[in-house]
Amino acid sequence: MAEKAKKALKLPESGQWPDSVVPIALVGAAVFLVAGFLMAFLYASPVNGAALSEPVLVGDQMVTNVQLLSQKIFYFHMPVALVSFGALAFAGFYSVRFLMTKEQRFDTCTKIAMEIALLFVVLTMITGEMWTRFEWGLWWTWDPRLTTYLILMIIVIAYFILRNAIDDPERRATYGSVIAIIALVDVPICYMVTRVIPSSIHPVVLREGGMTGDMGMTVAVVMIGMIMLGFVLYRMRFRQVRLTQRVEAIKEQLED
Amino acid sequence: MSVTVKRPSTFTQYKTLLVKDLRQEFRTKEMLTSMGIYALLVLIVYGAALAQTAQVFDILQMSGGLLWALIVFTSLLGLNRSFTAEKEQGCLEGILLVPLDRSVVFLAKATSNLLFLLVVEIITIPLFYFFFLTSTTPSDSFWLIVVPLVVGTIGVAGIGTLLSTITINTRGKDVMLAVLFIPLIFPLLYACVSATTAAIVGGDLFMETFTMSLALAAGYDVIMVLLSWVLYDFVISV
Amino acid sequence: MNAVLVEIYSTVIPSAPYIIAAYALLLLVLFVYAFMIMRGTKKAEAQIAVLEEALAEKKAAK
Repeated sequence: MAEKAKKALKLPESGQWPDSVVPIALVGAAVFLVAGFLMAFLYASPVNGAALSEPVLVGDQMVTNVQLLSQKIFYFHMPVALVSFGALAFAGFYSVRFLMTKEQRFDTCTKIAMEIALLFVVLTMITGEMWTRFEWGLWWTWDPRLTTYLILMIIVIAYFILRNAIDDPERRATYGSVIAIIALVDVPICYMVTRVIPSSIHPVVLREGGMTGDMGMTVAVVMIGMIMLGFVLYRMRFRQVRLTQRVEAIKEQLED
Repeated sequence: MSVTVKRPSTFTQYKTLLVKDLRQEFRTKEMLTSMGIYALLVLIVYGAALAQTAQVFDILQMSGGLLWALIVFTSLLGLNRSFTAEKEQGCLEGILLVPLDRSVVFLAKATSNLLFLLVVEIITIPLFYFFFLTSTTPSDSFWLIVVPLVVGTIGVAGIGTLLSTITINTRGKDVMLAVLFIPLIFPLLYACVSATTAAIVGGDLFMETFTMSLALAAGYDVIMVLLSWVLYDFVISV
Repeated sequence: MNAVLVEIYSTVIPSAPYIIAAYALLLLVLFVYAFMIMRGTKKAEAQIAVLEEALAEKKAAK
């Protein structure tokens, strides 16, 4: 009976329907990212953002804001950051699934989602750092966003360190899942705490206000591309890990 | 002849486990002495670290942060030890054989950790005051630091208990605990440092920062302790 | 030329290295990860080939 119930549980496996979407998603990601890249530099107006003291006429339009070239980083920075959160959320989801079913497959999913999260967090840090370095003239400041992302990065790294330190697969999976869930809850709190409490030492850095239509459009295009890219990377990595696991399993059987 | 045994209530189980921890500590005084000495040593390190600063530098603004750094490192030491004894003497296995709700184990352990941490804080904070704050005059609201200390310690004990249960079964467990503990405790640490500094420095706007930080710290406590409580069953059963 | 445009254009040259670096590093990291996946897949496939050989040998020995 229990055996049957387990069979009924549909496990994520490579080669299922999401894999058939992968080639399309890969092409889509390439198209959207290239389009987004071109849009960021050619379409989105350079004159928008940080407020000017008074409106000025540039070309044939009135502008009240000015945005510098370094702002172009933002168009890739924000989607990447959002995808990293999404990947973390998926890791949390699969962790809950693991704790419910105790099925190792979900642990594999958690691990890979965490890897994708780490990848995108690192990308966020890189792009963010470059922007910070130019715009604020320093490599590091304990700004809320930077702090939150640093903590997020360290938690994700800690997750992998923890996995490496445990040999027993079931224990590794359980502990990993618990940490993934706690991380998912901890990160928004961290974001809120560092944002709400004003820091007395560093000035609170105010970002430009809302986005205009062309900026929003560019961000949306890059966002779609990045989501597709994240999905493709996840499925590719998942296929590879599953392949390796199956090879290991066959090896063990052959040795007997 | 049949023997009827009344099933002990959850509270009795909790009390028994807690008293067991306290009694063990009372006999050996292992954890309290090591944490106390460690805290004193950190204070001495602070002495050396701050020795070269200017005579009139503002220790008040730093003292909240220094105090919390001291608490974090001391509690790391304590949390590491809290399960080592159980594991080495096979006590944990014994507890797990008893048919009791696993969350009771969590609550009892978290409470004992909380009590030990509070005792250490009661000893170290007067020492901290004695070493670093007698040369200046903290604001009248200094006594309010008790509130963030209690709120912060509850969070530290709650999440720390879960994490120390996890790391006890890993390789290189001392480092592992620090690696997990410090980033996860970060929001709480940030809020508590803010509240403590506000209380020590005082000023016109201090009440605003103080209550805001405390509210956030308390929110963190509630969420994280509940989460640890729920997840503890999974952690201890493997 | 307009003062605002002058201000914008004056920042193009100093900020260019950081923007180029940001995009280049972004691509680099992505490619490194993709490369790692590819290598892992190739390795696993090579191992499958070895396993198939081993299986064939085992059958032949029987």
